[in-house]
Amino acid sequence: MRRNLSCYPLTWHLMDILEAAFSKIWPKKGGFWGPYLMLSPAILLVGLLVLGLAYIGDTSLRTLDTSTFLFSEEWSLANYERALTEPFIRSVIWRSILGATIVTMTTLLLAFPYTYIMVRTRSAFLRKFLLIALFLPFFIGQVVRAYGWLIILGKQGIVNDILGLIGIEPLRMLFNYPSVLFGLVQYMFPFAVLMLAPALTAIPEEIEAAAESLGASWQETMLYVILPMAKSGLIGAGLVVLTLSLTDFAMPAILGGGTQDFVANAIYDQFFRTSDQGFGSSLAVLLIAIGSLLVWIIFMLVGAGTLALGAKDK
Amino acid sequence: MTFDKQIKRRDLLKTSAMLGIAGAAGSVAPSLLKAEPAKPKEIIVRAWGGPWVEALKAGVSDPFTTKTGIKVRHDLTEDNEIQPKVWAAVAQKRTPPIHINWDTTTNATKSALRGVCEDLSDLPNLKGTTDLAKPVGVDGYPIVNTYGYVYVLAYRPSAFPSGPPASYHDLLDPKFKGRLAFYNDGIGFHFPAQVAGGGKLDGIPNNMQPCWDFVSKIKTQEPLLGEDPDFVTWFQNGEIDAACTISTNALGAKRNGVDIAWTIPKEGAKFDTDGLWIPKGHSEGDLYWSREYINHALSKESQQIWLDGLGLPGVIPGLRPPPGLAGDPSYPTKPADFDRLIRISGKIQVENESEWFSKFKAIMQG
Repeated sequence: MRRNLSCYPLTWHLMDILEAAFSKIWPKKGGFWGPYLMLSPAILLVGLLVLGLAYIGDTSLRTLDTSTFLFSEEWSLANYERALTEPFIRSVIWRSILGATIVTMTTLLLAFPYTYIMVRTRSAFLRKFLLIALFLPFFIGQVVRAYGWLIILGKQGIVNDILGLIGIEPLRMLFNYPSVLFGLVQYMFPFAVLMLAPALTAIPEEIEAAAESLGASWQETMLYVILPMAKSGLIGAGLVVLTLSLTDFAMPAILGGGTQDFVANAIYDQFFRTSDQGFGSSLAVLLIAIGSLLVWIIFMLVGAGTLALGAKDK
Repeated sequence: MTFDKQIKRRDLLKTSAMLGIAGAAGSVAPSLLKAEPAKPKEIIVRAWGGPWVEALKAGVSDPFTTKTGIKVRHDLTEDNEIQPKVWAAVAQKRTPPIHINWDTTTNATKSALRGVCEDLSDLPNLKGTTDLAKPVGVDGYPIVNTYGYVYVLAYRPSAFPSGPPASYHDLLDPKFKGRLAFYNDGIGFHFPAQVAGGGKLDGIPNNMQPCWDFVSKIKTQEPLLGEDPDFVTWFQNGEIDAACTISTNALGAKRNGVDIAWTIPKEGAKFDTDGLWIPKGHSEGDLYWSREYINHALSKESQQIWLDGLGLPGVIPGLRPPPGLAGDPSYPTKPADFDRLIRISGKIQVENESEWFSKFKAIMQG
């Protein structure tokens, strides 16, 4: 016999009401708003970023009055004009772009064989060793790693100690452009390997065997088969390394010893040393613009690589 | 006549009663008039870390806590990094993140010009201070200077066997290539470089070309550029022979057993001050006790202990110099001691430092 509805407990009725209300908001089959609700965290995150950028954009158009340390009410392009005409800032921008380019090329050159061996080796020990060597630096922050290089490469460092054993006077290996680039390559290397690994794993070993069976040498297989097939991974890794290097702060600050500023260091100086947030913001906007332009050029020339996430390139 | 001079018993009683009432009122009145606002649980003082905060704690904060029962928390955020946070809080009428900022006077002058500092001109202990306590280039006392310091030319005696360097020109000797150090924005060196380059101090800020000419000469020596902790490390590691740095760093290195001495070359040395200030936006009670803290920092006892730790000259007359610093050029006390020290108004410095820093970096990074 069917029981009367009124004999069910009150909590059951309450749950029915809540379930009905919830299904109105989020229908079981998804409904129109379902995908948008799923996107809401990302929209919130990007929205906050856009808000911050808008604030920086607004500040970049205001000039600092050093008699009151207040910013102008009116907008002007004076900060941008200064940034593009001041020789020091121009040299910092050029140094950053050149440095990021050299670091990207070098890192990819080193990361490719490392990743290839890591992916293809039949030795479990070697694979584990390479993985540990890759991940270990991730547990150590960038600043600590930079200080580590100070200890190793400093005038009283390990390398100079070894050189001293064979009668070579201590060399100054730090506080110059090559030392900053060296530190950046070492920092970026794991990022590049991690971006390259999926691309190389996706290339079946049988393809290499097929190429060799058709008479291709190992070098030819590498040049005409593997490299073209790994192109998407190389582009993805290159984009990540390029943008991270371009905006880096710690390596130029620590290994450059105050003589090799990148744009991020100049921004810090303006925000915190001279209190000119307007000028600092204009440098930040320029840095974003330069980074975006470089990425856009790469997208146009060779596509987005693995960053396209399977979408058709170009 | 004799009778008139005699004190009548009734008059005596009346006078005694009145004196008694007056006395009682007198003892109560100050506490009524100066009713202390409620004490906050703690006050937050921004400070530099390491030996700096230890000295402040021993000389000012701990005695203040003992005296008032109010805990003092030291916030070790860098002075230039706390500044935008304080400015934003004041602009948005929020409570600032710190009660008291221990700051360089130059940095603090920016806050004073922006109008975010409380007025401290009626602190009782200011009456007993020297002129050094007064910030130059701003009205009143939005900041109270608490001591001075000198950007000395620190050197390794073994590298200068014929005696201390008499001039910055001595550093142009090729044997010092790669063995000199300066601050990475040139702070402390701009003014003596102006003199070393053949210029005059009254050419600051409008004609600084002699300064940049001399900085360019120094650049050929490939100096190291760094911040305060770097100098001590470089001297300790034997990486440099001479540096333009704050005397406290040189003293710190010496106390750590480094073979180091310092001098003021013939071009002179920059003299500057640090101070304490209170950001606007605190409650009446917090403001009262923050002012009490700064007033306490200006007492002779506090200054003596605090500045013994730092090895710097204070703003109260008659302080006893720390051992070994009496008569030292980095510890000026008499007017004659200031003859070779260069003191430029904080206002001129803050209005021009951005340009000076950029120019110095442009030369050094060129």
